[in-house]
Amino acid sequence: MITKKSSAIIALTAASALLLGACATSSETTTDDDATGTTDSVAEGTLRVAMGSPGEAQISVWDQIAAQFESENSGIKVEMNYVDDDLYQTIGLPNLLSGRDAPDVYFEWAGSRLAERNEGGYAADLTSYMSGGVLSGIWDDAAFSSGEVDGKLLLAPHTADVTNVIWYNVDIFAELGITPPTTWGELMDTCKVAYDAGYIPMATGNKDFWAAGNWLGHLTSRVVGEDVYDSALGQRTSFNTPEWVEAFGYIKELADNNCINASANAIADNEGAQLFFQGEAAMHPIGSWLVSWAIGEAPDLNFDYVNLPAMANGAGDQGSVMGVVTGYVINEMSPLKDKAAEFLAMANNEKFVTEFIAAEAVPMAISAASAELDDRTARLNTMLSGSDHVVGPPDTDYDLEVADYFYRAVAAVLGGVSTPEEAAADLAASVE
Amino acid sequence: MKAEKPWVPILFLAPALAFFIFAVLVPMVATAGLSFTNWSGFGEFTFVGFANYVELASDDIFAKSFTNVLLYIFATLILEVLVGLCLAGLISVQKSGSLWFRVALFAPVMLPMVVVAVLWSFIYNPDFGLVNGALTAVGLEDFTRIWLGDPDTALLAISIVSGWVFSGFFMVIFYSALQQVPGELSEAARLDGANEWQIFWSVKIPFIRNAIEVGVLLCVTGAFQGFDLFFVLTNGGPFNATEIPTTLLVRTVFRNADVGYGSAMAVVLTLVILVVGWMFVRIRKWNDQKELRR
Repeated sequence: MITKKSSAIIALTAASALLLGACATSSETTTDDDATGTTDSVAEGTLRVAMGSPGEAQISVWDQIAAQFESENSGIKVEMNYVDDDLYQTIGLPNLLSGRDAPDVYFEWAGSRLAERNEGGYAADLTSYMSGGVLSGIWDDAAFSSGEVDGKLLLAPHTADVTNVIWYNVDIFAELGITPPTTWGELMDTCKVAYDAGYIPMATGNKDFWAAGNWLGHLTSRVVGEDVYDSALGQRTSFNTPEWVEAFGYIKELADNNCINASANAIADNEGAQLFFQGEAAMHPIGSWLVSWAIGEAPDLNFDYVNLPAMANGAGDQGSVMGVVTGYVINEMSPLKDKAAEFLAMANNEKFVTEFIAAEAVPMAISAASAELDDRTARLNTMLSGSDHVVGPPDTDYDLEVADYFYRAVAAVLGGVSTPEEAAADLAASVE
Repeated sequence: MKAEKPWVPILFLAPALAFFIFAVLVPMVATAGLSFTNWSGFGEFTFVGFANYVELASDDIFAKSFTNVLLYIFATLILEVLVGLCLAGLISVQKSGSLWFRVALFAPVMLPMVVVAVLWSFIYNPDFGLVNGALTAVGLEDFTRIWLGDPDTALLAISIVSGWVFSGFFMVIFYSALQQVPGELSEAARLDGANEWQIFWSVKIPFIRNAIEVGVLLCVTGAFQGFDLFFVLTNGGPFNATEIPTTLLVRTVFRNADVGYGSAMAVVLTLVILVVGWMFVRIRKWNDQKELRR
């Protein structure tokens, strides 16, 4: 006779058997890569490429590259994986890398993230490909420096973005008789004139913290100096110092002088941009990607940019630029490394570099130098390449948790919730 | 009499049990295990013992998140349950023409919460939103606010959205319960001179007490599970004013890549919800015993 207790035990055992059977079946399923071996000479399988979503125009180019690569490499199927940007930057990529079908090629930012991938064993050394291999001759030697970790070239560079400049509405400036500010004092004056005329001086959408966090981070680096900025965000020195209090004081000055829209901390970055596109705001601090965005959303908008104004008595390089190099990494654990390198070589050939430029992305490949670019984009590239100091954004160059604390401290000062002293102290306590 | 096929019940149970083990039990045990580690989501684990729990005990933002969720529960008990109850009472009295009224009030329940949140983020937009636009249009510009950007108004603004969505849900539950109230009770009360208001509060409400208790429990547990509305509207801001345990947990795990610490938060949140549920059951049992003794 089967008792209740034994029924329960048998049911649980049956359930566990079902479960284990399913898991065993799935683990026995081999991927194309597993089936064809794990050596670099593998000539067939599925080449998986992962990136944050670069927009429809660029996705179209990547799909063309994938199709052409498949047609030239019978036996290779290219699988493109476009992930939501925020998700990719946080948990998306780590999940993909630790999953069963990890990407063979993936998008990454230069800086601490790249170093982390190297430490995790997910970044292949591309030195041999770049010096005499399929990736040689595509880039200038200078383009490799940002992707070098421990003497190894880990990143095939794709684009270099200026993360923040101050975009201004040329027509509003002409109407108000003002010129683009080049110093902090001029910026305060410009804000006053625009505010008195009924415009939002500087519109920003900081709900997700990075939009204002980045450009105000650049501001703080100008005040405290690049080395102090780097060491504090790198958790080697404290934020609770007079220099940082002074830096946060400038952020308070922005808020006190009505330079920023009152809704800054309540609206998203795209909503902040819309205020600029609709002619409600005279200025909008954001990165170089605004060019293609504005051309699409507000084709009649007459806009230009100026770098962050110089801070009087600032310890940093007052001509520094905030920027980041992005590119593609070949997964060290990929069985298709050679094919992955060939794929990246194809993506950076002249034909597709031209396609990317048409899609408003400017690859760092040598062949892009002769391309016809939007004048603003060309000047931004020149500014970035000619700068003596390129400051990294907190969320791509440093630990994400520290960057998060930094952004929140900046937002708190901007929103009038914290004084500079409180923000510096709280930030230091959080990081410690 | 001996069953012919005693293994049949086991076969019926096995798939559900397998799903329970795979989807509930294993993740719970894994989360509890991860709470004792320092792990970024990939790579090696580092066992750290109770360090995550010790850190949690001094985490002001984690403590504040529970305060916020308690305030949210209080607000939604009024805006969802009480409003739902009043609406149910209204339509139970005025039955003719109430069908479209019920449909209109229930419609928001059928919308995905993310859609609701995006919709209301535009309504609350301080620069071109409906609320501030309407206030300005009627000369009440002084009452305009940065609804989702002001720590004093953000949580209330989210609670109002929640009330807009779920008051219809509770209205339907309570309306069904009110339909079960014997007509003779209401008639008897009417004959004794009670008005509709008195009949509603003194006759019908006590009769549907069980349904109200279930409604309160749903509201409380739903508040602890709330995430999508808060994530889309404010993501815990401004300045942690709308930070609730779930948004803080998601930020810790998925943004800061601190899976161990986030797992400890999940364990503590689960224990809190279990304690709340247990207290609810005890109070209900005590009330039932009190009723029996009468």
